[in-house]
Amino acid sequence: MRDTSRPLPFAKGARAVFELSLEGMVWTRRTLLMGLLVGFPVLAAAGYRVWLAARPAVPLPPAADLYAVAVAIYWIRNVLPLAALFFATALVADEVEGRTLTYLLTRPLTRPSIFAGKFAAYLVTTLSLALPSTVATFFVLLSARGWDAVGPAVGDLFRDLGVIALALVAYGAFFALLGVLLKRPVIPGLLFLYGWELLANLPGYLPRFTLTAWLRSLVHHRPAEEGLAGLFQQVLPAGPGLVVLVTVSALFLAAAAWIFSSREYVLEQ
Amino acid sequence: MTRSRLAVLVSMIVVVLGVFAGLGALWLSPARAAVGPMPGEALVLPADARFVMGFDVKRFTASPFYARYAAQRGMKPEALRELEEKTGLDPARDIDQIVVAGTGPGSIGVALVTGRFDLYKLGRALETEGKVNGYNHAGASLYAFKDEGPNATAMALLDEGSLLFGQKDRVEAAVASRTRGETPFKTNAALIGLVGKVRPGSTFWMVGDQSLLAGMPTSVPAPGASADGASVSLPSLKSLTVTGDLDPQVSLNVVGVAADDAAARNLADVVRGFVALMSLQAQQKPELRQLASAVTVATEQNRVLVSARLPYELLDALQPKAKPAGEPTRKP
Repeated sequence: MRDTSRPLPFAKGARAVFELSLEGMVWTRRTLLMGLLVGFPVLAAAGYRVWLAARPAVPLPPAADLYAVAVAIYWIRNVLPLAALFFATALVADEVEGRTLTYLLTRPLTRPSIFAGKFAAYLVTTLSLALPSTVATFFVLLSARGWDAVGPAVGDLFRDLGVIALALVAYGAFFALLGVLLKRPVIPGLLFLYGWELLANLPGYLPRFTLTAWLRSLVHHRPAEEGLAGLFQQVLPAGPGLVVLVTVSALFLAAAAWIFSSREYVLEQ
Repeated sequence: MTRSRLAVLVSMIVVVLGVFAGLGALWLSPARAAVGPMPGEALVLPADARFVMGFDVKRFTASPFYARYAAQRGMKPEALRELEEKTGLDPARDIDQIVVAGTGPGSIGVALVTGRFDLYKLGRALETEGKVNGYNHAGASLYAFKDEGPNATAMALLDEGSLLFGQKDRVEAAVASRTRGETPFKTNAALIGLVGKVRPGSTFWMVGDQSLLAGMPTSVPAPGASADGASVSLPSLKSLTVTGDLDPQVSLNVVGVAADDAAARNLADVVRGFVALMSLQAQQKPELRQLASAVTVATEQNRVLVSARLPYELLDALQPKAKPAGEPTRKP
């Protein structure tokens, strides 16, 4: 018999919260919207193939370049941070807004296990949207002119999958921290994405203070760009990049879990 | 199983299938080779090579570049026809890949050519020309061209799939290495390391080490410099890697490794200066507008990465305009 006066062990509690949160996260309008946004390159790639088959004589941009744009600019720079913002800031905020947090906190669960379960559900949901889209886009685009181009580029696909997962972890950790720290985290999150993260386009050491510069440096795709980004583009070293991203993700998660554990939530009546 | 779990499971299956399909494509890729894009046969090339370059003839002849410029870029289809008639060798049809190892100035190096060769027809064609001495060396037919000198050349017919061409003594050494089962090029750790980093599947590629780059100019005229002779000093490079493709557009990737981060930044700034100058000139010609975004320059620690993507329309715009047929040519 379990001692009911004591909370469930961390792993068991986190798993229970994960299963509960996953049910509430996968089939939602938010996920549908994000699924359309994240999966858009698959539709664009299918359109590209149809166009290529229908009008082979019309010059189209190279499929490999389109894939590079999808990974480096569309997903890593824009859509995945946005998906992380909308999912991760809502991990606790949704429970507060729906006034259901009390039900969760009164269960025999430790607060860190609640946070860990919710973050794991976020990660599984977003990875389930992003990784299949990347794989499908890769194969649809790269096989456009025969399978010869697929083999040599497979290394990039594996790398891209890893970097996309890391992007969801890093941005998710940061926005989860914002979510437990602030009452309305979306506007500050958008300011972070479209204000602070633009430092990545500046010369010198400033890009090192952004998540996007480290993430962009990890992928091999360098689509042609104009403006500041094209002029000062610098690639940060991959090894330190991995260390930085893993470290800041761990720090953000630890801080978020600590704040969530120690904060007193007073729900508005 | 709930709907949520089913959705997650389906997406994970897509990813796993994709990973396996990718591994399969990688395993079956025709571009797979011994080291990077280099075929295993090329490992008999000399160990003291200072640069090595590869050329995928199949990809080249299938590219829009070949279709567009074969007639006008000095590729001399009539000369190729003559070569085919004399030796039965049609480069566009029979040759797959050429790998050249260069040993520096004054030496033509050695080239390994892979493809499908009719050895009898080829050997007979060479002998009936009367310009070669045929002999057997280490189990392979070797044809030394008669213009003996410090750079006497020879061709060795290794088998139906590969032949060697280049400086006679080096070709003989490579044939002997092959017979003994040796791979001298593998002992050149610097170049092997660089070749290993080249992605297989490029139409052309080249890697060079420090010894080759030591002979490069240390300064170039400054962008926009007039007769005053202003020049920009170039930081020395430790290695250079060039890869390129011709389909569906001309794309070129150059990676130069400088001595340190500061030298890489200096070099990148010099390249950016030239690109900016090109862009300024391009603004005067609407058809060259794409040039501004065609070249990107980035630095990664002590590496300078230059990437150029040139659509064929842009290359056409860069071509000198042909004079109208009726226009008389002016005499000085």
